[in-house]
Amino acid sequence: MANAWKIARRSNVQLPLILVIALAAVVVLLGKAQGTLFDQVRAHATDTMAPVLEKLRVPVAGFDRFIGSITEIFSVYEQNLKLKEENARLRQWRNVAIVLQGRVGRYQALLHAVPDTKLNAVLARVIGRANRPFLQTMILDAGRQNHALPGQAVMDARGMIGRIYLAGQRTSWVILLSDLNSRIPVNIAPSSGKGGNVQAMMTGDNSATPRLELVSRTVILHAGDQVTSSGDGGLLPAGLPVGTVMTDGAGGWRVALLADASASQDVEILNFSTPPETPPASAQLPAEAAGLKPQVPAPPAGQVAAAQNGSQANPQTNPQAAAQSKPKPVAPPAAPPADAAGAEDVDR
Amino acid sequence: MVSLERAQSPRFRYLTAVIPMACGLAGVLIANIPVSVLGGLVPAPLFGLVPVYFWCLVRPDLMTPAVAFSIGFAEDILSGGPPGIWTLAFVLTYALLARRRDSFAGLSGLAAVLGFAAAATFACAIAYFTVAGLNLLSGLRLPPLVPVVSELMMTVLFYVPTALVVGWLHHRLIGASRSDV
Repeated sequence: MANAWKIARRSNVQLPLILVIALAAVVVLLGKAQGTLFDQVRAHATDTMAPVLEKLRVPVAGFDRFIGSITEIFSVYEQNLKLKEENARLRQWRNVAIVLQGRVGRYQALLHAVPDTKLNAVLARVIGRANRPFLQTMILDAGRQNHALPGQAVMDARGMIGRIYLAGQRTSWVILLSDLNSRIPVNIAPSSGKGGNVQAMMTGDNSATPRLELVSRTVILHAGDQVTSSGDGGLLPAGLPVGTVMTDGAGGWRVALLADASASQDVEILNFSTPPETPPASAQLPAEAAGLKPQVPAPPAGQVAAAQNGSQANPQTNPQAAAQSKPKPVAPPAAPPADAAGAEDVDR
Repeated sequence: MVSLERAQSPRFRYLTAVIPMACGLAGVLIANIPVSVLGGLVPAPLFGLVPVYFWCLVRPDLMTPAVAFSIGFAEDILSGGPPGIWTLAFVLTYALLARRRDSFAGLSGLAAVLGFAAAATFACAIAYFTVAGLNLLSGLRLPPLVPVVSELMMTVLFYVPTALVVGWLHHRLIGASRSDV
């Protein structure tokens, strides 16, 4: 093929070529200094392509599943055994969780604790993924018109996937936790329950397991320790599940992510900046904010006698008074199943 | 093959001038459609580099530095990486090809694939070292080499089918080599 080509010996493109090379270098420097210009163009391009991407998503996902099923069919038996074992282990943990949930409920009631505020979330669908040498990203079908903004965390059902770094009107780009440019502060809780938490920085390096850069060199980690977002810097909410600690075999530590960014189809975009619940008034008691009625102060002795003589609240005729007179039950823990006692023993 | 009368008509000349750029932009668009085949195991190839390589050797009057710049710029915009990286890589690869045109154009068969592999390696090396330089300036660590090598391998792997399509388009719509015009 190439032999048939007739080639010009010399062309008069040398001078423009030098100018174009200089222009390309200027673009690199401009992109470094003013990256938002390019981001706006990208966001606009993605918004334009969004309908096409949504149409392409279904057949490509089907093809992906078909390819995946071919490779997985050879390991069905092993996977089945592994899933049964994991299921049995998870049932044990479920029992422990139920017991602990009840205990936490009792402690909250005792302390009159204000419950954690829930975060607003926007449900979005993944309409594209890109695995490029210098960027690992996914594209969501929610943008600024859905109140998705840069910096917000993106979660799937298992854990954190990444955060939005570019938001168009109808689409947004997510920088994955595994991406080279991803750096988030995390909190590492020991799986044994002994010892304090460790603060660290999790940095992506385009591998499936981001590395942990420990703030303190004196801490000791163990494989299996839980990694959550620390919330330092206020960019992300604290406590988002991220993954578990694993060793990299070379003396360093990495994070096995809970979320699978390559398989997630529906994700949540967490709006951290605007709390959905109005904070309680300064005069309001923490117990009221927790949904617990404050105890009514004891009336004077004369009123007590009058109440005993005839004005006792009748639940049928005056249900409101009856309701007020009853102490509101503290949120009871969910009834533990029959085998929860055994789980409590495990906890002890 | 295109007839001589048709090739000399102004409308046809305008069309032939547009085809290389349109092919390059289409290649960039196809490579950067953000759908994940094979679960994102491998990156998409640099389809946009094939028209730059092909027409830079066959018809440098149609694949000008400005066209190479535009294709690289489109790659930058759609790929989402640091801006200007692929623009610079494509333009410098074009410069290399323009300097060594005789050497590259005389290759055939497997040597032609190796010639493209050399050009693609040059482009990926430019992109990698530019990003590495920018990262060092910002105090960040060097980017990993494996994703760039994966992209290079995919680009070379897809060169033959892409070059066949580009060559077919050239013969059907443009026809003449530079020395024939």
